[in-house]
Amino acid sequence: MGLRVLAVDDEADFIETLVKRFTYRQIPVTAAGNGPDALALLERESFDVVILDMRMPGMDGLAVLQEIKKRHPLVEVIILTGHASVESGMQGMSLGAYDYVLKPVDFGELLEKAKKAYERKKLNESRADA
Amino acid sequence: MNPEPTPDAPGPLPGDHAPPLWPHTLLAPGLAGAAVLSALAAPPLVGVGLALFAGAICIGSALTLARRVRRGERELHELDVRLLHSQKLAAIGELSSGIAHEINNPLAIITQEIDLARELFGQDACPAPEDLADIKDCLDQVGKQVARCCQITHKLLNFARKMEPVLQEEALEQVIEDMAVLVEREAAGRGVAIRRDYDQSLPPVRTDVPLLRQVILNLLTNAMHATPEGGTITLATCRQNGRAVIEVRDTGCGIPPENLPKVFDPFFTTKEPGKGTGLGLSLSHGIVARLGGNLTAQSAVGKGSVFTVSLPL
Repeated sequence: MGLRVLAVDDEADFIETLVKRFTYRQIPVTAAGNGPDALALLERESFDVVILDMRMPGMDGLAVLQEIKKRHPLVEVIILTGHASVESGMQGMSLGAYDYVLKPVDFGELLEKAKKAYERKKLNESRADA
Repeated sequence: MNPEPTPDAPGPLPGDHAPPLWPHTLLAPGLAGAAVLSALAAPPLVGVGLALFAGAICIGSALTLARRVRRGERELHELDVRLLHSQKLAAIGELSSGIAHEINNPLAIITQEIDLARELFGQDACPAPEDLADIKDCLDQVGKQVARCCQITHKLLNFARKMEPVLQEEALEQVIEDMAVLVEREAAGRGVAIRRDYDQSLPPVRTDVPLLRQVILNLLTNAMHATPEGGTITLATCRQNGRAVIEVRDTGCGIPPENLPKVFDPFFTTKEPGKGTGLGLSLSHGIVARLGGNLTAQSAVGKGSVFTVSLPL
């Protein structure tokens, strides 16, 4: 399958593990350490699913999500968060996030969600072409 | 004594200035009180007359006030409708100015290139051989800009389609559980427990998963805010008349019967100003309708509320 993932998190260790695990499953994954880097990458390359950390210094996850949805409405975003804030969860979902997941996340579950999000993007695209 | 203490005009009033309140807060009670007091001292027959007069003053004042309250409510409702409409218009305005700007740039380039090509073709419509390459460049540029416009409209179409639900098969329990986990910690902090009562035999539903998540999160948050410490929120699924049904039950304060029909109205809120937009439930109601389902509410004051989402299977 052609799923391409962009993982955005300021925690280098976490993102390294994530990259390793996706790579092990032979899913192309690119890492970005902050919001602006992620947005720049999205301009240059195409991705299907963005895994986005909520709390990052500078541009926070919600702001990045908003930009992504504005510039690339078809790209699906899964938000990861370290602390359950219902408020930001509501905001995230209403801004068009595919899902809002609490850390620590089971990788199998995350992979499943990423695949579902990818399936959704494909469905959306096939309709756009029809 | 004045025979008529409430000289409020019942007809149409100037909309910008409400009539004064003092006839109702000071004059009417004052007159009624004076009438009752003098009735005590007066002979019985006059006393009855005075008491009746006091009653008439009170009724007149109450009727006038009730009329004003009702008119106020009507105006408020009209205002809500107008506000919603103006928000829609604002969104359309923003979108169209964005499109105009995006399309104008390539159009400007196309115009320039066509002008240049025409010039190169010369008076007799036969370009000099050395200009042919330039003309080809012009055409290439026009082609590139047309492609850019196509991309813009394509994106817009995507955006418009994005508004329509995208149906995916998913286990209902999974969708609910994702959001329950999110709310659970905060609920536990408030001393509210979340119970599950899922029907394991329920087949997966075909629905727009992120939209449904939004609805469930909204219902869960409302339930949590309505439930006092020691209360319980129950999440249940079941199959009913060939539809998948999700119930969010709480043991919270409940909704008074007069408010129940209004809970799905936009901007209706019982939270303090600034705490809630009054849009959550109305948005959820709209989402569920787009998913081909129903969102309904039942409630008993002091016992709790049940919000029920029913979706096609």
